[in-house]
Amino acid sequence: MIEFMLNGEQVTFNGDPETPLLWVIRDSFKLKGSKFGCGAGLCGACTMHLDGTAMKTCVLPIAAVAGKTVTTIEGLGTPDSMHPLQQAWVEHNVPQCGYCQSGQIMTAAALLAANPDAAEADIDTAMAGNICRCGCYPRIKGAIQSVASNTLGYDAMAEEVAS
Amino acid sequence: MSTQILSRRHFLKSSALVGGGVVVAVTLPGCSFDGELPIDAADTALVPNAFLQITPDNKIVFYCPADEMGQGIRTGLATVIGEELDCHPSNMAVEAAGSHEDYNNPEFGLQLTGGSSAVRVFYEPLRQVGADTRALILAAAARDLGIPAARLSTDNGHVIAGDKSYPYGDFVATAATLDVPTETPVKDASAFKYIGTHFARIDAEAKATGTASFGIDIDLPDMVYAVVLRSPVAGAKAVRFDDEAARRQPGVQTILPISSGIAVVADSYWQANQAAKKLTVEWEDVALTAVDSTRVRADLSAALDADDGVEAASEGDFEAGLAAAANTQSAEYFAPFLAHAPMEPVNATLRIEGDRADLWTGVQVVGAAQGLLERLTGLPRENIRVHNQYLGGGFGRRATLTHVVEVTEIAMATGKPVQVLWSREDDLRHGVYRPASLMRLEAGIDADGKVTAWQAQRAGGNVTPETLENALPALLPSMPEGLLGGLHGAVEFIFGNWAVDHPSVEGLHETYSMPTHTITHTTVDHGLPLTFWRSVGHSYSGFAVESMMDELAVSAGLDPVALRLKNLEDKPRMRRVVQRAGELMAAMEVPEGHHLGFASHSSFFTDVAEIAEVSVTDGKIRVHKVTCVVDCGTAVNPDTVRAQLEGGVMFALTATLYGEIDLDRGAVVQSNFHDYPILRMDEAPAIEIEIIDSGTAPTGIGEPGVPPLAPAVANAVFRATGQRLRELPLRLA
Ligand code: FES
Ligand code: FES
Repeated sequence: MIEFMLNGEQVTFNGDPETPLLWVIRDSFKLKGSKFGCGAGLCGACTMHLDGTAMKTCVLPIAAVAGKTVTTIEGLGTPDSMHPLQQAWVEHNVPQCGYCQSGQIMTAAALLAANPDAAEADIDTAMAGNICRCGCYPRIKGAIQSVASNTLGYDAMAEEVAS
Repeated sequence: MSTQILSRRHFLKSSALVGGGVVVAVTLPGCSFDGELPIDAADTALVPNAFLQITPDNKIVFYCPADEMGQGIRTGLATVIGEELDCHPSNMAVEAAGSHEDYNNPEFGLQLTGGSSAVRVFYEPLRQVGADTRALILAAAARDLGIPAARLSTDNGHVIAGDKSYPYGDFVATAATLDVPTETPVKDASAFKYIGTHFARIDAEAKATGTASFGIDIDLPDMVYAVVLRSPVAGAKAVRFDDEAARRQPGVQTILPISSGIAVVADSYWQANQAAKKLTVEWEDVALTAVDSTRVRADLSAALDADDGVEAASEGDFEAGLAAAANTQSAEYFAPFLAHAPMEPVNATLRIEGDRADLWTGVQVVGAAQGLLERLTGLPRENIRVHNQYLGGGFGRRATLTHVVEVTEIAMATGKPVQVLWSREDDLRHGVYRPASLMRLEAGIDADGKVTAWQAQRAGGNVTPETLENALPALLPSMPEGLLGGLHGAVEFIFGNWAVDHPSVEGLHETYSMPTHTITHTTVDHGLPLTFWRSVGHSYSGFAVESMMDELAVSAGLDPVALRLKNLEDKPRMRRVVQRAGELMAAMEVPEGHHLGFASHSSFFTDVAEIAEVSVTDGKIRVHKVTCVVDCGTAVNPDTVRAQLEGGVMFALTATLYGEIDLDRGAVVQSNFHDYPILRMDEAPAIEIEIIDSGTAPTGIGEPGVPPLAPAVANAVFRATGQRLRELPLRLA
């Protein structure tokens, strides 16, 4: 039995401890916002926060999550109460197919939580693990920069505190 | 256990259709469903046609006939219908249309999304539907309010009478009793409120919050998950398999042979995936087993050497034109097989209950999916519903329906709701590919740069016959297998021997006015499944033609833009695009060590020019910036036009720098993003876009940004290094 915090709630998982966190979240906890893109840690579609750090969860056994805090895109913000990055994503018309975007936003949120004034090079480095096949990169970068340079009212740590 | 259930040719490949490219412009009788509209509506709601529902509480639903795969079509077509209905696109609920002939792409006669066609072909019909529905609401309002319709106006889903505003929903009861007007005049472009205006994509919020539903997100009570182990070599069937170990894995419910391979069914995807690794299967050898990438390349070369291609287009006397030239060039260009690699691996979820079937998936061919289910289950068409979800990328990949065949076979065998999910490895190794192409060009120009002779020969596989062959079982659900077999054979023979499949040679001369040109084609098909890939034939023809134009300019000492303008005298729209791009290029301040390359290409009725700013350091090509000039007629959503060009450039840059599917003993070598790399943010160029609006009806935008990119980069690399790279992906010596 593995216990962990999921979007602010204590939860337990009883299955195979080798099961990757991604599939536990999607298939056992039915949160479908985090996506499967490669299953090999190569694309970032499955990115969640583990104790506030962006992690590729398709290769992260649930056993490694015991006692930790997991935040998914659903925990970051909702349509009624969007995270500033999610708002920026809408304002910049970032998504095309949208499939990679949960992962992109989770990586960006962890970056800005750690480095609210991230420069372009920091953004490039942090985001290099997230593929967007639709090629939304200029807009993803623009949306991140708009939040990074406009931290007014943005409490980067709010989500982790809420968790 | 016997594994040979059905022949692959007639069953497993009962899949498919299109992804780009002008395709099957024929209406096949019986290929689309004309029963009741697949719309759930309360008795009190107004459903005046297949595209709209208006409820008494003024919920306005638009059933979008084209599939949203990222190209922004739900926003685009909501804008078109909303303009005439007079309702802001963001105030409509936009849903994916079910399967019905009323949603057929008017040009293809099929319900398919591809060929960068949706805005172009639905622009007039949806404006008409919007205008007629607004007229209906006005007529009903006139009755209910006792005010002549001429004294009423509308604004954003409301009827305006003097200083009073009434939601459309107030009048639906009366409207339901009236005849729907037809041929209501549509607006003049000067009166547009929404078309041509920037606003947020209607799916942006759902996609930024993880709440948009993709096929993979469907989760039904008691659903089981299936993973299919398929032959490494396309078309090979299992001779025998051993599932002892796999059956003992946790969560495994059953293991069964299906037409495409061996299916492992388990309680969860992860369990099915783990168990599938314990299967051992022996596959038969097929002709493709003897093929590797070197052999493909050699066969293409030999085909061109034979010089006996089928003529695709010919005008003027090539030899005379060559003799009249001041300067001649000949060269050979190569483009490899490519996979689409959409971010969401293909998947399908099916529930068969009694005499009903419900399919949840994301495909570019909703009608064909329904037809396929009819063929395989034998259920009446009206009892089969296809719930198309957001597509996590399409690019042509989601017009092939192998996964729908798989889910149907497994659901029928297990009697349970099933989700079939492909892994990334499945996607790259068992997909349908952009054909490898070898092109030999020979051209001459006069002293001014006017092309006096142009010859292009292409060798490679064809996409249409294969697509058609795959599509027929789905489109003609009641045609017996035997007859289908005959049709397949005929189609293959025709395209292999005397007709030229247009997408195989499209773009090899049409951008320019070249009075003397000869285009020939030789079919070389190794049996790797092929299909449409974003921009189809243009994806390689653009590379060959625009590289050759640059080679001609360089050899004659002419300016590459001036050379192109010389050959655009009767193509005014492209002429303006090239002219403008040339001005932008001339004004560019190019940093030390950076070099510019130019290319222009017409595809899907749209004209695009691109300028790539490139540097080469330590043998690595870096694209810093791409400037695009486009004329796609009326830009319904200018920001979507920009997004599609941005995406097209990135998609093309991946192919330019990295894209390559190799064969080793018939099997695809690449398996995941480590060996089939996709461009990442730290390599992504800045992009600048200028839209020229010629005011004509809208033309394609999903694909036309792709073809000019590779040659623009290659032409810049030549200026940076002196190396003329004629093969994709670009590799420096
Ligand atoms: S799905 Fe986890 S990194 Fe790709
Ligand atoms: S939006 Fe489609 S993969 Fe990023």
